[in-house]
Amino acid sequence: MSAPAISIRNLTKVFPIPFKRESVVAVKELSLEVESGQVYGLLGPNGSGKSTTMKIVLGLVAPSSGSTEIFGRDSRRVESREDVGFLPENPYFYKYLTGTETLDFYGKLCGLGGKKRRERTRELLSLVGLENAADRRIGGYSKGMLQRIGLAQALVQEPRLLVLDEPTAGVDPAGSREIRDLILDFKMRGITVLLCSHLLGQVQEICDRVGILHRGVLVREGRLEELISIGNQTELILENASPDVLAEVEQVIARGHGRVVEKRKPQTTLERYFLKVTGGEE
Amino acid sequence: MNAPTAHRAFSPGRIWAIASNTLLELVRLKVFYFMLLFALLIIGSSLFMVNFTFQQQFQVLKDVSLGAMSIFTWLLAVLATAMLLPNDIEDRTLYTILAKPVPRLEYILGKLLGVLLLLAVAITLMTAVFCIVLYAREQMVLAETARVEAPSDELAAALANVKASTFNANLIPGILIIYLKAAVCAALTLLISTFASSSIFTIIVSVVVYFIGHLQPIAREYWLAALPGGADPSPFLKVLLGLVALVFPDFQLFNLVDDIVVGNAVPLAMFLKTAGLGLGYISIYTLVAYLFFANKEL
Repeated sequence: MSAPAISIRNLTKVFPIPFKRESVVAVKELSLEVESGQVYGLLGPNGSGKSTTMKIVLGLVAPSSGSTEIFGRDSRRVESREDVGFLPENPYFYKYLTGTETLDFYGKLCGLGGKKRRERTRELLSLVGLENAADRRIGGYSKGMLQRIGLAQALVQEPRLLVLDEPTAGVDPAGSREIRDLILDFKMRGITVLLCSHLLGQVQEICDRVGILHRGVLVREGRLEELISIGNQTELILENASPDVLAEVEQVIARGHGRVVEKRKPQTTLERYFLKVTGGEE
Repeated sequence: MNAPTAHRAFSPGRIWAIASNTLLELVRLKVFYFMLLFALLIIGSSLFMVNFTFQQQFQVLKDVSLGAMSIFTWLLAVLATAMLLPNDIEDRTLYTILAKPVPRLEYILGKLLGVLLLLAVAITLMTAVFCIVLYAREQMVLAETARVEAPSDELAAALANVKASTFNANLIPGILIIYLKAAVCAALTLLISTFASSSIFTIIVSVVVYFIGHLQPIAREYWLAALPGGADPSPFLKVLLGLVALVFPDFQLFNLVDDIVVGNAVPLAMFLKTAGLGLGYISIYTLVAYLFFANKEL
């Protein structure tokens, strides 16, 4: 059996407060696994330990105790990062580089040879829809373009795992939807995604599993449908049903000792409506 | 998707990628504008010396040029290096770089190499400006001397004297030592920036260490001379002075330029000793910078 994409065991991180005898426990006895090919949502309010957990997984911060592995390799070891791409929250990159130069730089860091690097750069710019901005300096990129070039650099060495910290923060609805579609595309390609986000609606749309952190403790974890479905209720959406038909349905339900809890017109989401009126949805 | 490949523990290619990007970053920040200031200073100083003898003119020109080179390379080393790490942390580009398979040692070496390349380009340009101005001045003095009516053998001797007073090979080791001193300051600044909280703090500490480095040999001599009856210092004092010398480099040892300007040759042994000392300081500072940075929580 292949190793999980991410394995976290009994992870604790304590930050001492300088010049005080106090300390802050950012993560406490956290254990979880992200299976290969999943989109995993790590949720929690500000200060719940999401970013610290991510940084420990990426080897940017050392754990106080416990361990983390990426595809079976200790994440404190540099070589474990061959399999990871990371997009931090609000990334800025080097403003003086163009989109092409940025991907070329990250390609060099990953040891890609000249020809392969050029091909990969073209391929990624096309994937994230930045071919037309390839020769523009990053300093002139919009927020959405920055996130997309960030995704491209994360993918440069064709990693099996992507770690995304608030990938749609500050991006307009159309850009946000494009990024969401890209994440679903990565999933189709078999790339595992660890996603940290405050946008719960978006997490609900794309994640297979979620973990909820609160004050450094994992309070809930599991498959999304299992966590949020209401066990004894069923949703039924009807089309072109006359009032008589509806009355009959209600009678049938009553005969079976069921109860209609709520009856309402289904609504589209505000996002879909916004995209429709602004021409963002085909 | 890629299958896991054998990771290279140390890659000059990755270091070069970071170094060349650092050089590009500094060049695009237009740090070379200070070259205009340098050129104006040198050309200006050469114009205000018409009442001096030609020997005095050339000596002052060399003195001003090498002194300015020393100050400009030091300023460039401190200011350029101080902003590298804080900028990368603030913009989170450091996260994206270290989240790739890049060891922290390679990151530090790449950044330092980038600054050293910048300093090399800067000192080469300054040397070129200096040589052009010195050559132009020499040609003017030669033309003036040639106009004097004198026997041909005396005139030839006078012209040879002018040429001997301008360029001499000793200037090259002098310029190399100026470069090395700036490189030591860059390594020291990089070390400070690995634990400093801001660029301003890094610059202030680096400037303070620079001045202590110039003053500490004087203080050491004064201290040792103050020992009763010229007694040998205690082992504790020796260790203490050694530690101070390690932390604060003796920058007076790099001041070979004064001798060079007045025409004295720098003995090869002294040049090699000074160069070795500079490289030693750079190595130690880089190693300590790595040790701080390796354990830094980002």
